[in-house]
Amino acid sequence: MELLPQALIDGILLGGIYITIAIGFSLVYGVMHIIDFAVGEWIMLGAFLGLYLNKWTGLDPFLLLPLVFVVFGLIGYLLQPVIHRVISGRQGNPLLMGLVFTFGLALMFRGIALTGFGFYSHSIPSTFSDKSFFYEQGTFFMTVSGIRLAGLIYALVITVALHWLLKKTNFGLGVRALAQNRDAAALMGVNGKRTSSYVYGIYVGISAMTGVLIGSILSVSAQMGPDYTIVAFFVVVLAGMGHLAGVPWAAFLLGLVQSFFLIYLDPGLTMLAVFAILFTILLVSPRGLFAKGV
Amino acid sequence: MNILEANSVSVKYGDFQALWDISISVKAGQLVALIGANGAGKTTTLKTICGLVPLAEGQIIYQGNLISGVPVHQVVDQGITLVPEGRQLFPKMTVEENLLVGAYLKRTQEKKAATLQRVFQLFPRLEERRTQTAETLSGGEQQMVAIGRALMQDPKVIMFDEPSLGLAPILVQEVFEVIQQLHQQGLTVFIVEQNVHQTLKIADYCYVMENGRIVQEGTGKDLESDPKIREAYLGF
Repeated sequence: MELLPQALIDGILLGGIYITIAIGFSLVYGVMHIIDFAVGEWIMLGAFLGLYLNKWTGLDPFLLLPLVFVVFGLIGYLLQPVIHRVISGRQGNPLLMGLVFTFGLALMFRGIALTGFGFYSHSIPSTFSDKSFFYEQGTFFMTVSGIRLAGLIYALVITVALHWLLKKTNFGLGVRALAQNRDAAALMGVNGKRTSSYVYGIYVGISAMTGVLIGSILSVSAQMGPDYTIVAFFVVVLAGMGHLAGVPWAAFLLGLVQSFFLIYLDPGLTMLAVFAILFTILLVSPRGLFAKGV
Repeated sequence: MNILEANSVSVKYGDFQALWDISISVKAGQLVALIGANGAGKTTTLKTICGLVPLAEGQIIYQGNLISGVPVHQVVDQGITLVPEGRQLFPKMTVEENLLVGAYLKRTQEKKAATLQRVFQLFPRLEERRTQTAETLSGGEQQMVAIGRALMQDPKVIMFDEPSLGLAPILVQEVFEVIQQLHQQGLTVFIVEQNVHQTLKIADYCYVMENGRIVQEGTGKDLESDPKIREAYLGF
């Protein structure tokens, strides 16, 4: 019982990171109907860029985030037309083509990273890393790590910024129109190709920044990708495919389930529990927690 | 002067040829109608004009400029808009957001508050429902949103694809009144309809389509008194 506050805070802090892993992934699915298998690899590549930039410049990883976003945003922006070509061919199921193509990208990125960066784990030092806050109240106590708290703040900033972009700007209106009806959006003057490129760039940029953070909080390695791809899938399916507003809640739920299992039960069973819960929820509500997915 | 022209347009969907050598011209300020049975190619004609469907042969000219081959979002920027069949609203957006997407284009951004007021004046019902999502509206209200959204684009030419489809008779009447009103305000209107009787009454000029070809054309009055048209489309 004394550990309850700790389990709660750990779950929320972990959930925060999961939001940013899944939110761009969900956006890309909603707008372009691409299930991007390479999400974990974008995180990994971003983490390595952060690692090397930190080594060269000595700057705190949090200060490097904007640069990482710009670099990977540009990569995503330039890559999207290629993906568009692959999924809009006359033959083949677009969803499947996207899946296969991004799966190939993921394998390629992992291979390149293994060759280029080796298979060792690294971590990106941050000034927040050695700070932590300790609270005690009667028999209850909890420790909050500074870097994880900074991660949660980062996640909230990203979420609010994305919400603002989608709900309050003309660009966001176009993005939502595109997601809901492609032809009608074109008739309203939305340039589908360019808007999709921006969205894909934003997603790749966010994923790469999240990678830097994960590199600071946990670790960086060439083989880290698939772990986070699974997280992205879990959160997005639970939230409802393409239902962006459900992502934060699903992410917090995943974080809480993991932290409770780690603290109270067998850590080895965490992933089993996570998927048992996912299956149960999908059995009851196949379109996700809020029954608003597709 | 013709504001919109289709010259010998052919369209193919794979091996199937949907349009054969279609020529249509619309003069500025006219209300021109295209009638014909289901599957005659009317919707394809409209989609081809605004660029949603690529053409195999021929050209489409708007205000003296070639617009065939130009992407849809650039065609509509020049002032042609389509109120598509089945409304094609953005279902999860509110009425107001649906209308504001109509003002997405840069040239319409500045005056969007004023245009929105004009649309609300034309359809007071939409102002009452502005915060409701589009999917919760009735068919008639959805059609109003679709027309309002097109008007937000400040078009010179507005094309309607079966605006009366699936509406109750009283609403059909209302939709036709609105179309006539827009026409009287100086908009050029190109309308595809199955409701032939009503359409011939309001049209300045009319084309009849069968199996992807234009088979007859003339003023609304001429066609109304044509025995073949009366038999095929009017039922008497």
